[in-house]
Order: sequence, then structure tokens, then C-alpha cells
Amino acid sequence: MIRVLFFGPVAERVQTREKQFEFIQGMKLQDVVTALSVSDPQAFDIVSFTAVNQTQVKDMQLPLNDGDEIAFMAKFSGG
Amino acid sequence: MQDAVRLQTEDFSVDAEIAALKSSSKRIGGIATFVGCARDFSEGRDVSRIDFDTYPAMALAELQRLRNSAIEKFGLLDACIVHRIGSVTAGDNIVLIVTAAEHRAPALNACHWLIDELKQCVPIWKKETTPQGESWVTPHP
Repeated sequence: MIRVLFFGPVAERVQTREKQFEFIQGMKLQDVVTALSVSDPQAFDIVSFTAVNQTQVKDMQLPLNDGDEIAFMAKFSGG
Repeated sequence: MQDAVRLQTEDFSVDAEIAALKSSSKRIGGIATFVGCARDFSEGRDVSRIDFDTYPAMALAELQRLRNSAIEKFGLLDACIVHRIGSVTAGDNIVLIVTAAEHRAPALNACHWLIDELKQCVPIWKKETTPQGESWVTPHP
């Protein structure tokens, strides 16, 4: 299972804080991005950062592993 | 003894955090602090409340990484970073950074560097409540 987390403005647009995807051997980060771009296009307008297992990643071809945790995040505004 | 980087709903005491750092070394010659507070006015609107959301596991890891980087980059003797989450109102504290070094320059420079990096790298988002409604804050440059 792949857990996808949403926070702040992205969570508001997706109207949930978490979605789950069944893990398929050979799955890449881009596969999740593509699926969510179809189901929640309004959220991806403001996604600026992606993290896999709490580490920022830019390579959408990154292979995923079962149990991975992905977060799609808007620009940060703490402080 | 509290962790050197923390996310917490409750307010913090600047004096207590400085005292904790001072007790860690008698070689400290300068301590710099930055306190970020909630304003009651933003982008031309009155602000009555600010709510914070965060990705806790990643935010704490990033805060720890920034603290470690600052200690190494500026030769600090110690540092602490505390960021509030949950809800705050105008005038409340939001974030505290305390840096301790042998001399003032590295303490001041590290403090400035840390708050700039925190705004860029730590997954925290704030939503302001105004008479016109609620809106997520767009990051300032």
C-alpha cells in the first residue's frame, strides 16, 4: 500500500488528508502523480514540493516501494 | 530537559530557553534570539487568528537538519528552535530561534540564516482568519 498525505492548502483542495493506493510492482512516483492529476487537478495547481518518506524528491521516475509515504505540498509559510 | 527542536501548541518562554542554552556551556559569549509573532494586520486585512498545519515527521527532521547545519556552518556552541502549531491570536508568539556562540557575529548570523531557511524548508503552513474569511498565507520572499 502507498500512503499519500496532504496538508494545509492542498488538503483543503483534495478535501482529505490521506489517500491510499495499492502498490503495484514497478510503480513509479509519476504513476501516483498522474492518477491524482486526474482525480484532483485543482490540488496540483498549488503543489510545489513532493516528498517520499519525509525526504523531498524531484525525480518523478523514482521507483516506489510497498509502504512508501508520499506527500504533495504547497509552498511553506511557517515562521 | 526539553528537545532542542520542537513543535508545540503551547507558548514558549524566551527566558527559559535562553537559560537552558546558557547552562549547556560556560564558553558562550553571545546569544542571539529571533521571535516571530502573530500580527493583527496582513495584506490590508485585520487578522483575528492564525491556524498552523504541519507535516510533523518531516518538519521535525528538517528543523533538526537546520540546527545541525547551523552549528556546523557558524561554529555554534548550541541552538534551539521552537515552532508553535495549532491556533494563535494576534500578539502571540509563533517561532523562537536561539543561537549561542563564543562571539556575537556567528550567533547573530546563524539566527538570521536559520529563520530564512526555516521559511524555505520546513513544511508548515498558516491560515489567517479575517473578516473577509479564511485564507492560506502566500509565502513572503
